[in-house]
Amino acid sequence: MRGNMSTSHHKPIEALDIAKRFGAVTAVAGLSLHLGRGEALGLLGPNGAGKSTALAMLMGLRVPDAGAVRLFGHPPGSAAARAMMGVTPQAAGFPDQLTPRELLSYATARRARAVPFDDVIAAFGLSPVIDRRMAGFSGGEVRRVALALAFLGRPGLVFLDEPTTGLDAEAQQAFRATARGYVQDGGALILTSHHWDEIEAVCDRITMIDKGHKVMDGTLADMRARMQARRISFALPEGAHPPDWLRATHAGDRWHAETDDSDACLRRLVDEGTPFADLIVEPLALPDVIARIKPENRP
Amino acid sequence: MTARQLQAELTLVLRVLLRQPGFWVPTVLFPAMLYAFFGAGLAGSGPAAGYAMASFAVYAVLGVGFYQFGVTVAQDRADPFIRWQRLLPGATSAPWVARIVAGVGFSAVAMGLVLVLGKTLGGVVLADTGGWGRLVMITLLAAGPATLMGTALGSLASARAAVPLANLIFLPLAYLGGLWMPPQMLPETVAAISVWTPTRAMGELAWAALDGRSLPLRFAAVLAGWTAFAAAITWAAQARHGKLNFG
Repeated sequence: MRGNMSTSHHKPIEALDIAKRFGAVTAVAGLSLHLGRGEALGLLGPNGAGKSTALAMLMGLRVPDAGAVRLFGHPPGSAAARAMMGVTPQAAGFPDQLTPRELLSYATARRARAVPFDDVIAAFGLSPVIDRRMAGFSGGEVRRVALALAFLGRPGLVFLDEPTTGLDAEAQQAFRATARGYVQDGGALILTSHHWDEIEAVCDRITMIDKGHKVMDGTLADMRARMQARRISFALPEGAHPPDWLRATHAGDRWHAETDDSDACLRRLVDEGTPFADLIVEPLALPDVIARIKPENRP
Repeated sequence: MTARQLQAELTLVLRVLLRQPGFWVPTVLFPAMLYAFFGAGLAGSGPAAGYAMASFAVYAVLGVGFYQFGVTVAQDRADPFIRWQRLLPGATSAPWVARIVAGVGFSAVAMGLVLVLGKTLGGVVLADTGGWGRLVMITLLAAGPATLMGTALGSLASARAAVPLANLIFLPLAYLGGLWMPPQMLPETVAAISVWTPTRAMGELAWAALDGRSLPLRFAAVLAGWTAFAAAITWAAQARHGKLNFG
C-alpha cells in the first residue's frame, strides 16, 4: 500500500531556514522543520503567525525567498513530491455538481496506479452520502470528503490544515483514530489546528510559530516531563484568605494557583493551618504548559 | 500526461459543466438565437446569406472561447479547488488541456447550431459544398485566439470585474468587426476602425474560407498581432500573480 515510501531514505519533510516576505511584511523567517516517518507534527500559532505561509511553502504552493524544502528528497511541487503526499485544503470549495465517489475516483486517476478507496469511505463515514451531489452538503460532510481525499491511497505524507473545523464529536473521534493508525503504520503527518485536545490526541511533536519565527519546538512527552507544574484549587470559608506567597486568584467559589512543586506547596499550606477544603491538584493543560514554556524560549 | 489522467480530467470538467444546464444551454443557444433573429432573416438570400451565417458562426466560437473558457481564469485564480488540483500527483497541465478540449467542444456545438439554422432557416446554399468544411475549420481555429484574448482579460481583471469588463469589450468588438451586420453597412468612421479589430479579422478569414478564396494575409496578420498581444499580457499577468501567489 505504501510502497512508494520505502523507495526513498529521505525524510518526509526537511525544511532548512526557509523565509518568505510579502512586500515589507515578513511572513516567515528562518524556519527549520523536520518530519520523520511515523511522526505527527502539530504546527501552532495565533492567527497571522505565518502558519499558512509556512504550510504553502512546504506543500509547494509558494516558493521560499530563502532556504530550501525537500519532501522525501524532492523539491515541493515536483511530480515526485506530489506523488507521495495527500492534502486537505482549508476551504475545500468542491464543485457542487460532483459526488464524493466521483471526486475520489478523479483523485485516484491522477495517481500513477489506481488505489481502492473503500477504506477512506469507511474511515470517514461517507457511505450514506457517497453518491449524492455535494450541493447542500453540511460543512462537516464537506470536511469528511476533504479528509478522505487527503488519506486516499495512504500517501507517505499528509498535510492537514485545520482538518476538523465543522466536524461533530463522533467524526472528530473517527478522524483521530484514522490519523493515529496512519502514523503508527509509518505515515508522516503535519497538522494545524486550534483544538488543543486534537493536537494532544494526534501529534507527537509540536512546533509553535509567532510573527514568522519558531518560538518553540519539542515533543509533547518532553514538554510534559519538563513541566512539573500543577494547578491547585480549593475552597475557603467565608472571609478567609489564602497566604500571599501562593499568589492565588479567586474565581467562582474557589481559589486557583499554579505551582512548580505542588508537594512543598501543600505541606506549607497545611503547616500554616490554611483551612482549605475540597482540594483539587491537576496537571496543567497543554495550552498552559506552552504558555509557561514560551517566554523561556523566545529569542 | 497519461491518457487515463486526461480522461479523468475531461470527465470531471464535463460533469461539472453538463450538470449546470443554466450554464451550457444559454451558452450554446445564444449565438443561434441571435442569428435567427438578426442574421438569417435580414441577410436575404444569395451570397449575403452565407456571409451572415459565417459571421454568426465566428460570433458563436468567439463567445464561448472568450467568455466561458477565457475570462473565467479570473475566478479560477481564487478557487481553492484548483489550488488543490495543483497539489495532486500527475501532470499539472492536464486540467488545462481538459478545459481547452471542453471549450472547443462547446464552441463546436454552438457553431453547429448556427450552421444548421443557416441551412434550414437562413436558406444558405453554397455553390461549393467544400465551403462548409472550410468554414468549420477556420472558425474552430479562431477559438484559440478568442480564448487567449479572454484569458488575457481574465488575468488582468479581478474576479468580480471580469465578466462586466468582458461585456464592455466583447459586444462592441462584435459590432465593430462586422459580425452583426455586413462591414459595408458600417458608418465610415466605424469602418475605418473595423479593419483593425480582431473580430473583423476573424470574420474576413471565415468569409474567405466560405468562398474558397485564398486567406487575406492582411487580416491574418492583424489576428496574429492581437493573439501575440493577448499572449504577452497573459504571460506578464500570470508572472505577476505567480509572484504574489506562489512565488
